[in-house]
Amino acid sequence: MSDQSFSSYKPTGFLKLLLTLASLRLTVILFLLSLFLVFAGTLAQVDNPTWTAVTDYFRSFFVFVPSQVFVRFFQAFRWVPPTTQWGGGFYFPGGWTVGFLLLINLLAAHAVRFKFNWKRSGILMIHSGLIVLMIGELVTGLFAVEGNMTMEQGGATNYLELRETSGFLGKINGPELAFSDLSNPKSEKVVVIPNHLIRNKGKLSDPALPFDIEVLEYMNNSSISENTSQGNLATKGDGMSVVAISKPEVSGTSSDQKIDLPSAYIRLIDKKSGQENGVYLASVWLSLSSTKPTQEVITSEGQKLQMALRMKRSYKPFQMELIEFKHERYLGTNTPKNFSSKVKLVDPARNDSFETLISMNNPLRYEGETFYQSGFLPGDKGTILQVVRNPGWLLPYLSCAMVSFGMLIHFGMHLNQFMKKRAENHAS
Amino acid sequence: MQANKYLLPGIVVLGGFLYLFAQAAPNSQPANSFNLQGFGQLPVVDRGRIKPIDTFARVSLMVMNDGFQSFKDESGARQPAVRWLLDVMTSRFSDKGTAEKLKVIRIENDQLLGVLSLQPRPGLRYAINEFAKQLPALEERAKAAEQKEPAKRNTLDRSVLQLAHHLQSYIEIASLQTPLIIPADKELEWKPFMQAAIEAKNANRDDPATKAFGNMILAYERNEPGNFNKSLEEYRGIIDKSLPAEAAISKFEVFFNHFSPFYHCIVLYIFVFLIAALAWAFRPESINRSAFWLCTLTLIVHTWALLARMYIQGRPPVTNLYSSAVFIGWGCVLGCVILEAIYKNGVGNIVGSVTGALTLLIAQHLGGEGDTLEMMQAVLDTNFWLATHVTCITLGYTTSFVAGFLGIFYVLRGVFTPTLTAESDKSLTQMTYGIICFAMLFSFIGTVLGGIWADQSWGRFWGWDPKENGALLIVIWNAVILHARWGGMVKNRGIALLSIVGNMVTGWSWFGTNQLGVGLHAYGFNDQLARGLTMFWISQLVVLAIGLFPKEKWWSVKARKQPVAGIASGIKTKHQPA
Repeated sequence: MSDQSFSSYKPTGFLKLLLTLASLRLTVILFLLSLFLVFAGTLAQVDNPTWTAVTDYFRSFFVFVPSQVFVRFFQAFRWVPPTTQWGGGFYFPGGWTVGFLLLINLLAAHAVRFKFNWKRSGILMIHSGLIVLMIGELVTGLFAVEGNMTMEQGGATNYLELRETSGFLGKINGPELAFSDLSNPKSEKVVVIPNHLIRNKGKLSDPALPFDIEVLEYMNNSSISENTSQGNLATKGDGMSVVAISKPEVSGTSSDQKIDLPSAYIRLIDKKSGQENGVYLASVWLSLSSTKPTQEVITSEGQKLQMALRMKRSYKPFQMELIEFKHERYLGTNTPKNFSSKVKLVDPARNDSFETLISMNNPLRYEGETFYQSGFLPGDKGTILQVVRNPGWLLPYLSCAMVSFGMLIHFGMHLNQFMKKRAENHAS
Repeated sequence: MQANKYLLPGIVVLGGFLYLFAQAAPNSQPANSFNLQGFGQLPVVDRGRIKPIDTFARVSLMVMNDGFQSFKDESGARQPAVRWLLDVMTSRFSDKGTAEKLKVIRIENDQLLGVLSLQPRPGLRYAINEFAKQLPALEERAKAAEQKEPAKRNTLDRSVLQLAHHLQSYIEIASLQTPLIIPADKELEWKPFMQAAIEAKNANRDDPATKAFGNMILAYERNEPGNFNKSLEEYRGIIDKSLPAEAAISKFEVFFNHFSPFYHCIVLYIFVFLIAALAWAFRPESINRSAFWLCTLTLIVHTWALLARMYIQGRPPVTNLYSSAVFIGWGCVLGCVILEAIYKNGVGNIVGSVTGALTLLIAQHLGGEGDTLEMMQAVLDTNFWLATHVTCITLGYTTSFVAGFLGIFYVLRGVFTPTLTAESDKSLTQMTYGIICFAMLFSFIGTVLGGIWADQSWGRFWGWDPKENGALLIVIWNAVILHARWGGMVKNRGIALLSIVGNMVTGWSWFGTNQLGVGLHAYGFNDQLARGLTMFWISQLVVLAIGLFPKEKWWSVKARKQPVAGIASGIKTKHQPA
């Protein structure tokens, strides 16, 4: 278990490096680094959405830790006044770096010290389980996709709205601006402007669209107010009667709102005439409205387009219909007792059709995707399902079994040995 | 000699028994008085749970007067909470004004006392009619405070809102709108008395339960114990027939409330500590054995109380912060009793009684905010995961605390007493190490099970949520201690010091993460707990600093170098080589 057995000879070169990489001292140092990282990553969630903290701290090679996160910690315990601000910060190894080094350390340790015997079987099992766990988190970080499926009572849908998620391959970064042409009843023609283009304000042009677009304002998170007396940028469309107000992004520790709801003010300029068509409000708030999720834009030539700022969609080969959503509460309270959605899934490609009940802690798994009861529309008018595709979902189960079993073996052997020794002492 | 060996432990345990027996015995009720105990046993529904009126009364009163489940009447005599409840329930049609004269509302804020033209007095408890004239002013302030954003409210605003809230609950009880009293066939259709009475009257229908309950409170107001008890029997007959199971559980819960086992466990753990401390000073063996058996007796009561809560609630032991404290205390004591049974050196008694008493004190504190058997949010409503993940993770906290307190014990004993001999140094470290292994096991399995639960319920094995991260910190910290030991980086003292840091880490994930705001697991937090946690951390830092004194300065280490026979070598046990 200790490095002492190697002290009898002086290793050089590669072996020396390997021994350093395999040392328990390095293990402890890496544990301390991860301890700090997890702690700072937790504090970062006071001001940032959980997924930002996760991307910045745990799914990164390096992270800049602002000193202000520690102020948040002190404020939580009233050690410093709520207005305290600290500037600056420092760089720190991120989750990928620490995890990768731990993996190397573990593999090197086993390469150097590995001798299989029954005494070590527990340790071996624990460490293999940990490797499986790390791989699981890596696979999740790389490939997991999350989205929402929203259905009204009796309604049906065939797409997911992808949520803002972070991954190694880049992140899905909020809603896109979609223009659809419904003039041909047989097929819908859609032009989609991805989020990163709208986010950076300024002018945009697309040959498929009859007008140029200028983003006047983009809000990462917003609320909608009917009080337009403070002035309103919009000159046309749904934005005439309401105004969007910028709000701070949802933080990881906030309880009342879980996702950001962005809005943008957009000026459309007719390409041919160069005349301004108008300034429109495009907002996820408006697209959430079930009766009128899009607004109509009419060009100077009389062409009609439907415009919406909506979450990125992922269309499915099957259709899901909500038969009934139930929201039970505890007697005499507003505390929810259970949510459940009775749904019907129709998959023409696989010739599959069935009804099932999705409820809290009772998801539906279908075709590599899992559907969870996640929320509901205001007034219990419909259900929101969270849909997750994670090819690595089984790995943590495997890992848990391996590590638990390994610990039982290892500590069990220790305990047994200890009891034996005591019995011997007792006898003598 | 043999008799002497068992005499003292026998006397101590018998004393413990008698104490408990005296507490559990029912209060005698004079024949011609109101059967308040019987009234307390009636089941009602409040906050989603069927509970006895007794619990409802105790919790409502406790929330208002900040901590007491009984009150002093005008003559200064202690009265049970149900009497207060009956006084309030009858206050609307009584001209005696009894309820308004009871000094049961605690008002701490001196600005608010000024607003209500009240003088500070010991206990700070006031009766409604003392500030009745200022009620309109209070209402205005409450409305203004409510309009402000929660973060912008000052202490006065918060106190005003709190008082307004208390008065609101008072009014709801007085107008017989809370709790839901009159049972129905279907669970969801229980009704408040007022509604049931009005409906029965409008439909010109005779509802026996409503009638009996109405007669009961009328009889109470007219001070007619005979009629009260007669109507009570009538009402109980109806309940026993329609809700036999609920009525039985309610009766049991009233006994549980009356016995208040956790409170007596605190008292007994303190005695265990005193006796165990005596054992260090005087004749160790039989005194130490007395402490051990008293501790075991207390543990049995603690276990019974835990099981009783599970029976009442129909749930695994840990469902909220309060029950986590009770459970952690139980686990600590159980672990220490096992350690003591193995080592017989008095360490288990000391650490077990200290952790048992401390955690139950914390629980008493946490329980002051309302019904500790509250209903669970939908996502938490699964006995399987509560039983596995929550129990495991709580055992992880428990074992980490036991290790940490063994560490504290190591430091204090080594520095301030000469009793930490080389032998006991070794065995104490062995204990700590063993416990840390368990802590590692439980916290890891608990954390991963939590991940699996999360995967089952919202499709994310690990969400890096603050509370999850808190649990992860404990796992990492235990891994640090174990690997540092295996690598020879720390020895006996190092393990003790690292496990004290483990206390701080565990304190953070148990309470601290909630303070950050509200994640998925948040149960809420307040200033008092923030102060408590701060104090806890400071105390741990102090012990750490003491533990960092150079070893030559430790009394025990100095003592080891002096081959003087007179210095005690800890508690001598028959296992120790003489």
